[in-house]
Amino acid sequence: MKQSLKLLILVLLSVLYTRAQDYKFGKISEEELAEKYDIQDSSAVASVLYREYKIRYEYNQSTGFEVVTDIRERIKIYKKEGFDYATVSERLYKSDVSSEKESFKNLKAYTYNLVDGNVEETKLKGSDTFTEEISKYYNEEKFTLPNVKEGSIIEYSYTVDSPFYYSLDEVILQYDIPIRKQEIAIATPEYFAFKPNFKGYLQVAPKMSSKTGKISIQNRSRSSDGGFSVSKTTFSTSNIDYIISVSEFNMDNVPALKEENYVNNINNYRSAINYELQYVNFPQQPIKSYSTTWDKVVETIYDSPDFGKQIDNTNFFKNKLSEILANSTTDVEKMSTIYFFVQQHMNWNGYYGKYTDKGVKTAFVEKAGNAADINLMLVAMLREAGLKSYPVLVSTKNNGVPLFPTREGFNYVIASVEINNAIVLLDATNKYSEPDMIPNRALNWFGRLIKEDGSSTSIALNAKTQSQETNMIQATLKLDGSIEGMMRTMYSDYNAYNYRNAYNDVSEDDYLDKLEERNNGMEISNFIVENKKQLGQSITEKFEFSVENQADIIGDKIYFSPTLFKTTSENPFKLEERNYPIDFGYPWAEKLLISIKIPEGYKVESAPKSVAMSLPKDAGSFKYYINDTPTEIKITVNFNMNTSIIGTQDYSALKEFYRLLVEKETEKVVLSKI
Amino acid sequence: MRLFALLAVLFFSQSVLSQNLEYQSLLIDQTLKDDANAIVRLDEINIHLNSIKDMIVSKKRVVTVLNKLGDDFVHAREWYNNSVKISNIQAIIYDQLGNELEKFKQKDFKDVSAVGGGTLYSDSRVLYLEYTPITYPYTVEFIVETKTQNTGYIPSWYFLDGYLISTEKSSYSINYSSPELKPILKEKNLENINVKKTETTNSITYKASNIPAIKYESLGPSFNNFAPRVVPRMVNFNYEGYLGKVNSWNDIGLWMYSNLIQGQDNLTESTKSKVHSLIANVTDDLEKAKIIYKYVQDNTRYISVQVGIGGLQPISAIEVDRVKYGDCKGLSNYTKALLKEAGVTSYYTHVEAGNDKVSFESDFPDLWAGNHVILAIPYKDKLYWIDCTSQIHPFGFIGDFTDGRQALLIKPDGGELVTTTSYIDEQNFQKLNATYSLSEDNTIEANIVIKTKGIQYDNHFPIQDDSEDDIIKHYKENWSGINNLNIKEYNFENDFENVEFTENISVSATNYGTKSGERILFTVNAFNNNDYLPKRYRNRKLPLEIQRGFLDEDELLINIPEDYKVEALPNAKEIENEYGSYITSFEKINEEKSIIYKRKLFIREGSYPKEKYDDYRNFRKEVSNSDNSKIVLIKK
Repeated sequence: MKQSLKLLILVLLSVLYTRAQDYKFGKISEEELAEKYDIQDSSAVASVLYREYKIRYEYNQSTGFEVVTDIRERIKIYKKEGFDYATVSERLYKSDVSSEKESFKNLKAYTYNLVDGNVEETKLKGSDTFTEEISKYYNEEKFTLPNVKEGSIIEYSYTVDSPFYYSLDEVILQYDIPIRKQEIAIATPEYFAFKPNFKGYLQVAPKMSSKTGKISIQNRSRSSDGGFSVSKTTFSTSNIDYIISVSEFNMDNVPALKEENYVNNINNYRSAINYELQYVNFPQQPIKSYSTTWDKVVETIYDSPDFGKQIDNTNFFKNKLSEILANSTTDVEKMSTIYFFVQQHMNWNGYYGKYTDKGVKTAFVEKAGNAADINLMLVAMLREAGLKSYPVLVSTKNNGVPLFPTREGFNYVIASVEINNAIVLLDATNKYSEPDMIPNRALNWFGRLIKEDGSSTSIALNAKTQSQETNMIQATLKLDGSIEGMMRTMYSDYNAYNYRNAYNDVSEDDYLDKLEERNNGMEISNFIVENKKQLGQSITEKFEFSVENQADIIGDKIYFSPTLFKTTSENPFKLEERNYPIDFGYPWAEKLLISIKIPEGYKVESAPKSVAMSLPKDAGSFKYYINDTPTEIKITVNFNMNTSIIGTQDYSALKEFYRLLVEKETEKVVLSKI
Repeated sequence: MRLFALLAVLFFSQSVLSQNLEYQSLLIDQTLKDDANAIVRLDEINIHLNSIKDMIVSKKRVVTVLNKLGDDFVHAREWYNNSVKISNIQAIIYDQLGNELEKFKQKDFKDVSAVGGGTLYSDSRVLYLEYTPITYPYTVEFIVETKTQNTGYIPSWYFLDGYLISTEKSSYSINYSSPELKPILKEKNLENINVKKTETTNSITYKASNIPAIKYESLGPSFNNFAPRVVPRMVNFNYEGYLGKVNSWNDIGLWMYSNLIQGQDNLTESTKSKVHSLIANVTDDLEKAKIIYKYVQDNTRYISVQVGIGGLQPISAIEVDRVKYGDCKGLSNYTKALLKEAGVTSYYTHVEAGNDKVSFESDFPDLWAGNHVILAIPYKDKLYWIDCTSQIHPFGFIGDFTDGRQALLIKPDGGELVTTTSYIDEQNFQKLNATYSLSEDNTIEANIVIKTKGIQYDNHFPIQDDSEDDIIKHYKENWSGINNLNIKEYNFENDFENVEFTENISVSATNYGTKSGERILFTVNAFNNNDYLPKRYRNRKLPLEIQRGFLDEDELLINIPEDYKVEALPNAKEIENEYGSYITSFEKINEEKSIIYKRKLFIREGSYPKEKYDDYRNFRKEVSNSDNSKIVLIKK
């Protein structure tokens, strides 16, 4: 008993001893400096040894509450590639309408190196920091630490003061490099109710506590006794106590976030907390509510003069509307007429936004605007024409998935129309989009459709149809291994949309150069393309071609893949495993119909066998049919992807599916001399 | 007749609407529209050298944009900083009839910092116009005027902006108040354009018109080498308060050294003793230089801060020593100071860096030539070059960033043009030795050894600093033709002394061959398959230029499955021509259980007339075809 207790103490002591890290500023250990790589992640170019991120509120009688953020980081640099972490920049917002701006202060920064067994410290000089005016909305404070080399540890701390007390920056919990220990605390006075929204794959639970704060207010009063007596000013101080709630996140060994291919936006997977203000409740003032539920979020957005009011603004286009609608009678006709009018009339300036920039009226006159200017105008016109039209709030792909009810979660707006109990989605920012075919950027999970009364419902934002690409090839194989023939390709839906966006502005010559390059350097003649500009129609291309080197002639045999230059010969999925879903954008179907005349004097000695396979849950399928006659080989390949997103659990199945597909398509037909 | 009617309408409407007929874009000459996304209707610059400390540059630029791809050519923007002020800037947009659509004043321009990548801070800023086109074609008239006291650098003139844009009218004029402010001009490639030069006692003017657009062609000379342009240089000038007079490269070296470099090389006592401890017991200067270079590589990094005179002058060695970072100027000057303390001479050198080799021109001493600084160390009648911004390159190896071009050595007694180390043809060498075994189930197991030298070394050796994930990704991409590739093991040796990099890799892959009944087909050349095919041009216009030559030698030992025998081998190839050579051979050994495949591809650097392009393309096609040739095995 005694023995084991002793042992326990010993163990505890040794644990304490080895864990005895000092996180006080400047207390850098020789062990840390001597470290050659991160034990948890040997590929790390640098690691954060310690990070402190503390948000608190301070009250100032003249300016009110402000948000104070204290930041401290201690970073170990292992490799040259990690030197970038020795350059720090902090964005400071400023108002473009008032003089309010964030300020940067109390910077302290050191670099530590181990020189001949001693810790050498180098201080950052004030003159080595820079303030850069990035735009009228923000400045950037920048510095880079001196004397940084492989093995250095850098440590810095600073404070950002923000008068924008109603908005807290996103608190990032995960970096591109490992974080060994971080202490994060968010302390908010009872007057502000914030709702934390978590994202990413890390499991985090805050430790909640509360404490009290005090505001001292100096009251000044002037009094005079009347008559000739001097008036005097008296000062009194009154104190207000309030409760501060504190959320703490103490995390050890946060792994680095690693980039992978075919991920729509890696930041969607970075762990972070967003604090969304729900209400402000100052003493003796009515509660000012922000958002809590989807309905509240929508209400707040809807109430903004740059949103709801814009839809009611109809006077300026009334004449134009009756002019364009002169020949439209049904709801569907009206919708298309108005949609295509706005699409042609307006020009998107490249900016997203759920709120209008110029306002729909000015945008209409200037013929240009952001997404809200254009799509809220569309809603307004559709409503004015008597249709049931509603705006739909969207979070674009690069903004992430809107998992929680937040205002900031939405950054874009499109329009919708309800016709015969079905909802049609409309986005007029792109010259080639169509009803129910919104641009890729907006195809992101769910949006919120807002009714006239401000209530809202969730609506799926995925592609509604499967986009087709059909290739028909009639070819003749020559004895030199080249083939000649003609080809016809049809592109539908998003395939046509992407085609138009990519090539409608490119000259035909340049397009043919690209097409020839893509198809093994073929030579194309008599090229015809139809419906390039007719939205709603599939695009068809037709041309004659000749292309060399499509068969191997070895001895008296000829070998070739019957899918010719359309062969998928490379598996796009090369990595062993994958942490994030695969995003194809939209469901698609690719069809190949090929017939190949074989040279005279040859017969088919062997040919690949027909095969069919599919992905789990019928997410995709591949069918390969082949049959041969004495003079000809005919092949049909149907390759379907029935879903736009494939989860990580099905990655290995998808990779295997592609492996088999490549194996099948690269299989050869063997011809031999008769 | 119809044209006349249209013109009449246009003239008529001009008097009614606010219209600028000059900027209508209905009647532009078709030769200007061919291959063009935009047309520069007028590009006019007037440079006024009022005194050695007063230069005013006014520009007027009118661009008609034909389609979306032409938006990038509007160029309604101007840079400024503490020395260059913008005194006037405005823009007007016109539709295709010449009707005014919108007007922008100075306050409508966006004002942003112009800090590029790798730069921590710079005082350079840019005003630019952000405009969303509402119709095509549209025309932008842009007017800007800048004022500066610096007269060392005056803008050179391009009659064409780049590829896919034509020029209707171009005008370049320089006015100088006194003869000593007259710049010296160098004309380049003006033969093929319609240009007129006028000279008066105090001005020089070039006017050109109707220059059609040029399309980009791969394997051609760089745009700068064939584009029509006029490059000016000042003999007498002021630069940030330093007056200069230069007539030769020697003068430039002298001016640079005495004004901007001399005295920047002081060091603290502790750093001096550090230097001496580093080189203690070393007598040879080259050895000393290697030690100092290694010290700089291990202790500094590239960070650029550009303020005021910092565009030309290096930050002092003491400053760089304190913070241990700097840009190319600062790091080179710092290294030079350390070398000096070690008793080794080195020269600060201006060079034009980049993949294209651009030389300083012997007959045109230009202070502003070059965009990079490196160091030259003279040792036994030879110059050794080091790039102090690289933390990874071996001593004396500069790679394709600054190789084989004329650069300016800045010595205390003046400047001198010299050519940097060249890496030519077979010096850019790769040797690949591999053994692979194909098994009955079609998988391969392979061991590969790749040795690289010269520019090929430069392309390969940085991989050693990549993370494991990136290294695996690199090989998977490099050998993307091999599906299901699994990288089992790899290790690298970097021989600094001989500048040679060795990669040892072992891999496996399933389904390497394709089965057809009794047969297995597989590509012989598994690991250096050159599928590069130069683009086909229906009508090639630019000459053929191969900037860098190389030599690849491969030797592969291939073991085939027990139960199979070779049915057919590809034919051996031997091609020899002016572009290089290609030789392959196949040999069955070990009772036909193994095959030895040898391959040699040599490409020579050189320039050829455009007529040769197809010929070269055919050569590469033949190489690519042969590299893809297959062996057929049949079951015994």
